[in-house]
Amino acid sequence: MSVLQSPSSPSPGVRLIRAFGVLLLGYVLVMTFTVPLGPGIVDVRVSPGDDQERQTTFALEIEGHNTHFSESIPLVFLKRGEHFVVIRDLEVVDDRHLAGRVTLDKFLPALSWDVFVNSPVDGTMSFANGFFAQGLTASTKTKSPDNDEVLDRLSQADLGFHFPFQPNIMETIRNLMLHVPMWFTMFLLMGISFAQSIRSLGTSGTAEHDMKAMASVKTGMWFGVLGLLTGSLWAKFTWGAWWVDDPQLNGAFVTVMVYAGYLVLRSSVQDEALRTRLSAVYNLFGFCLLVVLLMVLPRFTESLHPGKGGNPAFSSYDLDSALRAVFYPAVLGWMILGTWMYAKTLRLERMRATLAESRLQRATKAGLPFFLLTTSTWSDPLVNDGKMGVVVGVAVIIGVGLGLWSLVHSRQARDLNQEIERHS
Amino acid sequence: MRETWRLFTYLWRAERRSQHGLVGLALFAIATTYAAYQVVRGRPDPTTWNALAWVMLLFTAFNGVSRTLEEDRPEVLAYLKTVVNPVHYLMARTLHNSAVLAGLACLLTALMGLLMGWGTLDGPRLWGFLAGMALTALALGATLTLIALIAARAGAGFGMTAVLGLPLVLPVVLVSTSLGSDLMQGVLVADTWHNFAFLGALAAGSGTLGVVLFPYLWRA
Repeated sequence: MSVLQSPSSPSPGVRLIRAFGVLLLGYVLVMTFTVPLGPGIVDVRVSPGDDQERQTTFALEIEGHNTHFSESIPLVFLKRGEHFVVIRDLEVVDDRHLAGRVTLDKFLPALSWDVFVNSPVDGTMSFANGFFAQGLTASTKTKSPDNDEVLDRLSQADLGFHFPFQPNIMETIRNLMLHVPMWFTMFLLMGISFAQSIRSLGTSGTAEHDMKAMASVKTGMWFGVLGLLTGSLWAKFTWGAWWVDDPQLNGAFVTVMVYAGYLVLRSSVQDEALRTRLSAVYNLFGFCLLVVLLMVLPRFTESLHPGKGGNPAFSSYDLDSALRAVFYPAVLGWMILGTWMYAKTLRLERMRATLAESRLQRATKAGLPFFLLTTSTWSDPLVNDGKMGVVVGVAVIIGVGLGLWSLVHSRQARDLNQEIERHS
Repeated sequence: MRETWRLFTYLWRAERRSQHGLVGLALFAIATTYAAYQVVRGRPDPTTWNALAWVMLLFTAFNGVSRTLEEDRPEVLAYLKTVVNPVHYLMARTLHNSAVLAGLACLLTALMGLLMGWGTLDGPRLWGFLAGMALTALALGATLTLIALIAARAGAGFGMTAVLGLPLVLPVVLVSTSLGSDLMQGVLVADTWHNFAFLGALAAGSGTLGVVLFPYLWRA
């Protein structure tokens, strides 16, 4: 009963760290939603125009995101290797739309071209393979005359502090601060559980170690499920499906399954000493296999995730200094929040154990959130405006998840407190 | 080593004494294969063939490891605990399970060949596939033996083994299915050796983990 009589108040150091974590998360949330995304090209539409004997005229429509076309008329050109074609007949529709016409000879150095837009305001933006010269003929003998002109007219822009624009990902690059740290935090918590399971098997192992192992798994599961849900939403609007066959996704799913198995195993054994030993052995065995599954096997297979199986890592050139300045604090902040939630869960577990000692345990179980979305028209607000809605959706999922956690947590705490008062 | 072997032969004798155990497993494998044959009707395409083979091996394996022998009665276990080193017991148990699973894998492959053909497998690739199945049996045996012993200690049966084991054997399943689909697509056995190496490493890794952790289960 000693635990209950003096509800362990955290030491000043721990309080300081938690306050720091909250500050970090505040900074991260503000930055995640306010730092502007760099300009980029969302789409290029080409329609074949007049077909003359030796020349064909194509009409281009270029759609940008966060661009400022009307501030200064941009330089638009096609590029393939060392060949350039400048599009001279250009009309600015508005800040985000350009219309142009280009007349090409029947013989070209290449048929598929990257489309580039350059302006002193927005810098250089590109859209890979945006222009295909349908109906013309590729010939290596021809040359395009515009090389010097393009190189002379290119201008640099100072964009200030911004997140990099990437085709398809667009605004959802902000999810890096919300979705990815879920997994970092889960792994930290499962690591705590691993360490506590080792200690509970040792000769000086106590029920306290076992309790810590379980509390960290319970908290880690929340982050795992939130990681799955947010990842699923992000995947739908960048990869095109709620779930794709990807080693990283398999690993994440199996991780959540293994720890669900851990909790099932615990709930099916009544004897405390046996439960400690069985669940610790399973935890250690499972964690080691998960390391193989998550760290080793994905390196040998192809993956959609950056940094795996030959895909460029965020760390090489995608993760620029602006992303770093928010991502690292985000990881640290979410981890501090995770350990805080773990400490609160552990307190409940201690109360529960005390109640069990007086044979008054009441089963209270935390329900896990799930969602099911099937229709297709609802998704428009998520996709429009550079997919910014996906970031909001991910933040809402995490917010709802954490809100649900605190609701479940406070209700359990209230019930346990009432129970203890009634029987003390 | 000698004690492991003695325990292994002891388990075989126990197995022989209760014949319905092994025969029941074989019947399960035969019935599953026949049900699959009824569903696909005729010769499935290589992908289906591969998926069917591994799924059936997986479920047969779960049945195989989670059955209880006559020798698993509490009294017998209590006696064994006084005379046997836990590591030797686990190794004997793993070897025994792996041998049973390898036999079942061969039976499954033979039955599938009889009923649905061997797809594009021929000559050395068929032997390579069989070797892959045997190695998979070893890896599954190494992983599932410990899980089944945990489930048995928890007083739960097949369901608990499946809940605890299915996620954990996924690495093995991923590697062995990619091995199978490689061989089915005509890749030479020598060119898919890394999958054999992975399976061997997974078997060795889970075996070692089991040896380290099992003594904690064995304690009363």
